[in-house]
Amino acid sequence: MLGQKLLPWDYGVRNLFRRPSRSALTLGGLTIVVLLVLVVVGFIRGLEKSLAATGNPNVVLVYALSSGADIENSSIPGRTPSLLSASVDGVRRQHGVEYVSPELYLATRITASGMSEPGMGLVRGVTTTTPLVRDKVQLTEGTWPQSGEVMVGRLAHSKLGAKEDDLAVGQQVSFDGQTWTISGSFTAAGSAFESEIWAPLADLQTALKRQDLSMVAVAMDSPDGVADVDLFCRERIDLELKAVSESGYYASLQKHYKPVRMLGWVVVALVAGSGIFAGLNTMYGAVVGRVRELATLQALGFRRRAILLTLVQEATLLACAGAIVACVAGLLLVDGTAVRFTMGAFMLSVDSVGIAVACGVAALLGVVGALPPAVKAMRLPVVEAIKSI
Amino acid sequence: MSNSAKTSASTLCCVLAVAFTGLVMTTGCGTATESPAVASSSVPNIDASQYRLEEEPEGAVGVIAARESAEDGTPIVLVGRVGGTARPWVDGRAAFTMLDASMSVVAEGEDSDEEGELCTGDCCALERQSCTTLVKVVDSQGKLVPMDSRELLGLKESDMVVVQGIAKKDKTGNFVMLAKGVFIRK
Repeated sequence: MLGQKLLPWDYGVRNLFRRPSRSALTLGGLTIVVLLVLVVVGFIRGLEKSLAATGNPNVVLVYALSSGADIENSSIPGRTPSLLSASVDGVRRQHGVEYVSPELYLATRITASGMSEPGMGLVRGVTTTTPLVRDKVQLTEGTWPQSGEVMVGRLAHSKLGAKEDDLAVGQQVSFDGQTWTISGSFTAAGSAFESEIWAPLADLQTALKRQDLSMVAVAMDSPDGVADVDLFCRERIDLELKAVSESGYYASLQKHYKPVRMLGWVVVALVAGSGIFAGLNTMYGAVVGRVRELATLQALGFRRRAILLTLVQEATLLACAGAIVACVAGLLLVDGTAVRFTMGAFMLSVDSVGIAVACGVAALLGVVGALPPAVKAMRLPVVEAIKSI
Repeated sequence: MSNSAKTSASTLCCVLAVAFTGLVMTTGCGTATESPAVASSSVPNIDASQYRLEEEPEGAVGVIAARESAEDGTPIVLVGRVGGTARPWVDGRAAFTMLDASMSVVAEGEDSDEEGELCTGDCCALERQSCTTLVKVVDSQGKLVPMDSRELLGLKESDMVVVQGIAKKDKTGNFVMLAKGVFIRK
């Protein structure tokens, strides 16, 4: 029954090409709105992914009780790793090697070869057991660092504010009064480690004149084993240690960044809202100029709801086209762009959620933006509308 | 006219259906958020009643006093509150932190003007240690009961408890209570 009085699909499509400049401008505006939404959602998703990817439920972090949540301020005795592996059952072992990683972690000023000013970077002193515990880390180029060498995460350049080439294998970086040669680069499945520079623990301790550690990361056979390390730390209060599961630690950081993420969603709502108003404005202009045409269609026998539907169809087509253009532009230009933040750096992520939100906003822009002006135009009496200039 | 109108209606329906399916699929393909680890997924078959005391044992001393006077391996009765840290529980184990009854701990960031008040933040971590102790509920062989103390004993934070057991103390000042039974004061 509805189909008998609908306008042909081609009618709406042809109308878009009948006014190419107006359609192009509307398409451009909608594309920018959807792209903005995509960037903000990409920021939120990238931050969430970076923190979520870093936490492993089987890994427990042991650091100083008095350091707060800040591992950089932590200082624990160098004997802690051996004490832990000797005292706690359930530490993962394979081929006689214990999955215990003593680490020194600090934020320091680093100068790369192409940099005029040093940038603030994150350095982690590691041993060969570190990749056993941090199992997402993969050496993508070069070799594991030997004495006087470092390896860099793929986002370390972004954290430093340097160019990617400045931290290429074979280049040199300077920090804490020593020059280090870059022996390799690594990825870590999008986790926070990717913005760090890893140096051999012994070398870093020598350079910093420190014998202590910042923390010990221990991989347990199961997530249940985290409780045993926690128990050990509560029992041995003389060591002044604290144990937190790695996933719990980064979950608390997620909580810390919740206001930022909430703000991001507010920006998405504001951008979408402003887009709807811009769409409304454009559609009012488009419909007002076609009052006679719409009245003629009514005089020919088309029902008001059929004409309304074709107006919504036109706007939705434009919005969907804008969404496609924005998503393609987002995937090509936005996805993977590195963003610096206090914890290091992360990559903007145009993923399925971002695309779904962008398409949803586009559909909303098309339907909601077209309805009010179309309804207003339909309210005019046919005779009056035909006479209008 | 009628045919093209029908075609237009069906095409529009198809487009909307495809768009909706696309939205659902793109959302559905998203990475599922990892659920946090469950503290104790499998509850072992343990008779909890043997660790709950029906009557309050006599001669209880506070945590601070016990830290000073208790000797390693001697029987002791301890009184105090469950708490003293932001999280007094050890997940999946019958162990909890007990605070001396004369002390109180407020949430981090809150003012603690009164004497004997500490906060749960890391700033007061070392001070809290002198008035708290770890209580480990152990079986007849001295092994820690592998069940969360909240499930085993029905404990809640700030419950006043009287614990009967053996003191475990070393030269470095570490003091742990190996509890045989726990009485909850109502």
